[in-house]
Amino acid sequence: MSVADAKMNRRALLLGAVVLLGGAAALTRFNRKPAGVTSVSGAGMSAEQFALLEQVTEVMIPATDTPGAIAAGVPAFIRQMMSQWASTASRAEIAGILEAVDKAAWAKFGAAFIELPPERRHHILRSFDEDRTGRQDPPYGKFKYLVLAGYYLSEVGATQELRYELIPGAWRACVPFSEIGRATAVG
Amino acid sequence: MDFDAIVVGSGITGGWVAKELCERGVKTLMIERGRHVNHKTDYMDFVTPWEMPNRGMVPEAEATEHYGIQSQCYAFNAATKQWFVRDSEHPYETPEDRPFLWTRGYHLGGRSLSWGRQTYRLSDYDFNSYKRDGHGADWPIRYADLSPWYDRVERFAGIAGANEGIDQLPDGQFLPPMELNCIEVAFKKKIEQEFPTRRVTTGRCAHLTEPTREHIALGRGPCQLRSHCERGCGYGAYFSSLSATLPAALKTGNLTIVTDAIVEKLDFDQAKKRVSGVRVIDANTKQGRSYQARVVFLCASTLGTAQVLLNSPSEYFPDGLANRSGAVGRHLMDHVSNIGAAGTHPGFLDRYYYGRRPTGFYLPRYINITENEDVDFVRGFAFQGYSSRTTWDRAATQPGIGAELKKQLRSPGRWGMQLIGFGEMLPRADNRVTLHPFRKDRWGIPLLHIDCTHGENERKIAERANRDAVQMLVAAGFENVAPFSTVRSPGGAVHEMGTARMGHDPASSVLNGRNQAHDVPNLFITDGSCMASSGTANPSLTYMALSARAANYAADLLGTGEI
Repeated sequence: MSVADAKMNRRALLLGAVVLLGGAAALTRFNRKPAGVTSVSGAGMSAEQFALLEQVTEVMIPATDTPGAIAAGVPAFIRQMMSQWASTASRAEIAGILEAVDKAAWAKFGAAFIELPPERRHHILRSFDEDRTGRQDPPYGKFKYLVLAGYYLSEVGATQELRYELIPGAWRACVPFSEIGRATAVG
Repeated sequence: MDFDAIVVGSGITGGWVAKELCERGVKTLMIERGRHVNHKTDYMDFVTPWEMPNRGMVPEAEATEHYGIQSQCYAFNAATKQWFVRDSEHPYETPEDRPFLWTRGYHLGGRSLSWGRQTYRLSDYDFNSYKRDGHGADWPIRYADLSPWYDRVERFAGIAGANEGIDQLPDGQFLPPMELNCIEVAFKKKIEQEFPTRRVTTGRCAHLTEPTREHIALGRGPCQLRSHCERGCGYGAYFSSLSATLPAALKTGNLTIVTDAIVEKLDFDQAKKRVSGVRVIDANTKQGRSYQARVVFLCASTLGTAQVLLNSPSEYFPDGLANRSGAVGRHLMDHVSNIGAAGTHPGFLDRYYYGRRPTGFYLPRYINITENEDVDFVRGFAFQGYSSRTTWDRAATQPGIGAELKKQLRSPGRWGMQLIGFGEMLPRADNRVTLHPFRKDRWGIPLLHIDCTHGENERKIAERANRDAVQMLVAAGFENVAPFSTVRSPGGAVHEMGTARMGHDPASSVLNGRNQAHDVPNLFITDGSCMASSGTANPSLTYMALSARAANYAADLLGTGEI
């Protein structure tokens, strides 16, 4: 099996997972209230939270000519960071960000974030992002960093979207950017 | 006796002493308090970012609970955690309002695995500093004493660098330098124009840019420009005890290494005025045992060595071994750190680089050497610096989402430059380490109490370094220039030194000009504790040269039967 095949298979698996989780998300239509931090059980994430996380990260880093956040495994990465890396305080902060995004969707459009059509999701997240980065909100900075690290340090993000070599083997001190073409994933 | 020599500690200095002694035919025992480490196979240097646990981030609760001090080190992450002690298991005390950052690792190779690899010689500006301003005590050696030993250790270790003919930063035996990038070349040109006595040179570092036959014979290969050196290097491309000195020592057949053996104290034979034994505690079983040899080298690190000496009182030395002067544990120094400034540049946007260079540039000290006017403090500071373009992480705090964000981040951001100052810290007797009167570690050894602060001179150095760094960055066309906000607590540079200083006078110093205890001829100390002043250069290369020199002197004495 070639590397490209392996990547295709992995992507197919991930996309399969998206379909399944779309099903879980659909259930929340009947549960008409904002996704709350209260639904966090221990260190894990509820299905609703995960579905919301998927859609938020995918709006932040969508599929273009390269895969987006979901295909790069960003939601799964963040779920793992919630259980394996984050302190209790950070977990609450990150869950709070997701909750706040969902609340913004309800306030603006009267529906859950994941129920909105793509352009409205984008609208909600863009306003939210502008507001929170504008006032340098630390919990949002932490959340956004995790999304970015989840994507740009994934194999997809580091090698398809940006450039990364485990073993560069040489130092070329001054090169036209056009020869390299993309930023390096690890500075 | 089973051994001619015992070396306590396996870090940069212990490794050098062992190599030199073994190559002189001296049967040597190395005692390391931490665990064994296998060169290459125990490193995480072939793990990709996406395979790294939590993308390299140490779980927050673990970092807080177990690595409160260690996690403040820039090199601390999931891949390097194994080179740092758990603070929760290795406590020490400080006065509440006077923190000291003691960063360390207990394992074979010590901090030679995680060090910053910057390697600069001291000069006679440093060795003569007491003669010039009267602070501290005079070094019993001068540059000429150390110069051939710098040559020797540079050749063996493999140091990349450029010879520049700068008086206060002596040239050396260098492998080809790692070139400055485009913007650093422009910075160098501008600084040397605007400030005619300041110089910018490529960062001298212990990396094999072009390995010699000697390096290759030890299994070392050229640097691959990965720049995650602190994980350990499977190519052996940077100098460490594990890549270089220990393989060389082991080749002779004269080296025995024991690990998990914590040196508790040294025994002193009052009649012979000699160290007569080294008492160790097994780290795992807590059983005690002792070793004997004709000569003992303490290379246990500045604070570790002070702890052993202070914990070895005798009738003859009631205040600790070799401590007739009372200088043991005193004159603790570090470098003043987290001083300098950073800025971004609007230009050079069509320029980039390939590879991850593990060094930057160096701007040696000029204050009180070539620039003496308008200076209200003694000694000075030097800058390490580097410039690189930002990448995706810049977006965490900036607005932007979606396809537009992805597009933006495909290009690197602006060039940023940092000038990171290292200021000389004066030796002051009341900056000292003592044994805690009753608190002990899990092996029953008294904890260290560290009481160390910056004084007025250090504060002035920090202010001036910040001011000069801002001025230079602005002169070179940088924008958003800001000085670093807070001077880090002592210990923060991880250059602690001075607790068993060399000197002419046995009444005010612990060691003579050969790193030999004034009052105990078979005791040598070559770690950072021997330093009479801190200089501004990163000290490891000097420790190496002093270690090699002292080891050869001790081998001479063993040969003549004087010890």
